[in-house]
Amino acid sequence: MMRRFCAAALAGALLLAGAARAEDTLNPPHWQSEGLLGSYDKAALQRGFLVYQTVCASCHSANALHYRDLEGLGFSPAQVAAIASNVKLASGPATLDDVFKTPYPDSAAAAASFGGAVPPDLSDIVAARPGGPDYVYGLLTGYGTAPADVTLLPSHYYDAGYPGGQIAMPPPLKDGQVSYADGTQATAAQEAADVAAFLAWASAPNLDAAREIGLRAVLFLVFLAFLAIATKRKIWRETA
Amino acid sequence: MSSKISKPAASPWVETRLPFLASWRAHFTAPVLAPDAPYLGTLPTLITAALVFMAVSGFVLSIHYDPGQGFASLQFIDRDVNNGWLIHAFHETGTTMIFGAVYLSLFRIIYTRAYRAPGEMVWVLGVAQFALLLLVAWLGELLTDGAVSYWSLAGATQAAGNFAGLPGALGAWFFGGPDGPGTLARMAVFHAMLALAIFGIVALHYAARRAITPPAAGRVRVSFHPYYTAQYFVAFVIFALIFAVLVFFAPHLGENRLNLAPANPLAVPVAVTPSWYLLPIIDVAGAFPAPWGGTAAVIARLAVLFALPWLDRSNPAKPGGGLYRVLVVVLAVDLVLLGLVAGAGPSTATTVLTVVFTAYYFLHFLVLTPLVTAMEAK
Repeated sequence: MMRRFCAAALAGALLLAGAARAEDTLNPPHWQSEGLLGSYDKAALQRGFLVYQTVCASCHSANALHYRDLEGLGFSPAQVAAIASNVKLASGPATLDDVFKTPYPDSAAAAASFGGAVPPDLSDIVAARPGGPDYVYGLLTGYGTAPADVTLLPSHYYDAGYPGGQIAMPPPLKDGQVSYADGTQATAAQEAADVAAFLAWASAPNLDAAREIGLRAVLFLVFLAFLAIATKRKIWRETA
Repeated sequence: MSSKISKPAASPWVETRLPFLASWRAHFTAPVLAPDAPYLGTLPTLITAALVFMAVSGFVLSIHYDPGQGFASLQFIDRDVNNGWLIHAFHETGTTMIFGAVYLSLFRIIYTRAYRAPGEMVWVLGVAQFALLLLVAWLGELLTDGAVSYWSLAGATQAAGNFAGLPGALGAWFFGGPDGPGTLARMAVFHAMLALAIFGIVALHYAARRAITPPAAGRVRVSFHPYYTAQYFVAFVIFALIFAVLVFFAPHLGENRLNLAPANPLAVPVAVTPSWYLLPIIDVAGAFPAPWGGTAAVIARLAVLFALPWLDRSNPAKPGGGLYRVLVVVLAVDLVLLGLVAGAGPSTATTVLTVVFTAYYFLHFLVLTPLVTAMEAK
């Protein structure tokens, strides 16, 4: 009986896994980490980090992140060490305990490069923006030509995904900007989705741990609740 | 009943000098309680347990928290301290649980009119606890040093600086002048100190409740243990279950997301709105004229709550009427709407609605309650 149940569950799980592989995460865009029981898609996180490191990091800081944290993306310690040693800081190659490289010495230098706009720190951008990864994805894919009734400010770009529609950041992503090791086609939309996934992880690196502990805690407490109610009823039965 | 009177004290020498066993017996094993206490009667105990939990988790956080670093310090706790994110989430969601229980408890007392004689002192102490909790929760939110709470603190210190005389002196003593590098350290001390002061009110509240609990009237009487310990255990597990769901699956429920970004002294966020539990009490900035408007609105709101036992003109011996209960439910709806409007951020419409819903709040307590209850008394 038990074996038959396990076989059926296994078949079901395989069916689901197959469906997940064929899933199109871009139409409409969605992220595996969303929803009550979501968890991070490590492959997407690693692709997103590649985009982040190649594109975003040249202007944005992420002061809350250390290179050692990258093991959370599923990289091996050797891979993380290699990533860090490829980053050149003023003091030499970065180590595991260095904070992500800050591209500008201070915000005044950053502002000078973008006509007064300072590229925000990206450590908590997904947590701190209503919409989360959807906001990041919408912003990165929202560039376009301004409608006739919009007069752009100097050195600004029209972006339908940005509040107010005018953004000082030049369009950062284009097709084939990076080449993914796992063979995923690097369209601009795919890059935007992957970097949104990576930034979601950067904002909440403990999400997977929270869900894992949470599931155990809730199951335990549900069981304990039934036990407590049964105990209470048994104790009170004689007083009725 | 099966509860036996406990054996005489094992050590009469200790018992005569420190009568714990007699007290233990009076509270837990003497069969003196009525057997029909509702589950909602466990709320004060659940709140106390949650407060102890907050004190412990807050103590752990305070070991790692550095008010000079503010936001960066909490990032350090969340990302680099072992299980720091968990303790931080416990403390954050614990606030939601406490206020959920406190609001439910206040609603229940108003609805059942338990504030009437002889319950006035219990009610007043309960409201005092609520007021102190609001202050402590606000101070705790300031310690996160986010983009929103930074401006909340800046606004408060500025408002305090505008007062003259005694209120001005009190404000200067509390905040130490305009918001600056040392202000958060001050707020951390007040947050911890006032949180401990809440336990004093909890003790008084407990003593006042015991003083007015009538002796069990019926033939059937039970001891606290094992009968009510079993009931409290059920309530505690359900409370913990809701807490676990929130802490692990909805960690920032009811908070302003903009506050998860670091403080920026150069940019005011779109909406300086606090977490949900402060929304019905703290108005949208600008809805009431400075310097006294906002402060006076908060104080007046709590003052009518304190005065409620004397605003109710009915005869405490008679049970309450149906019309009053309808009004209490309307008041609850009014407060929920007020919170939703305040959370929506500033605009002309929300300012108008805030004034309307606030006006109804005062109308309920100052006009409708005396009127309806006086009609009942006839």
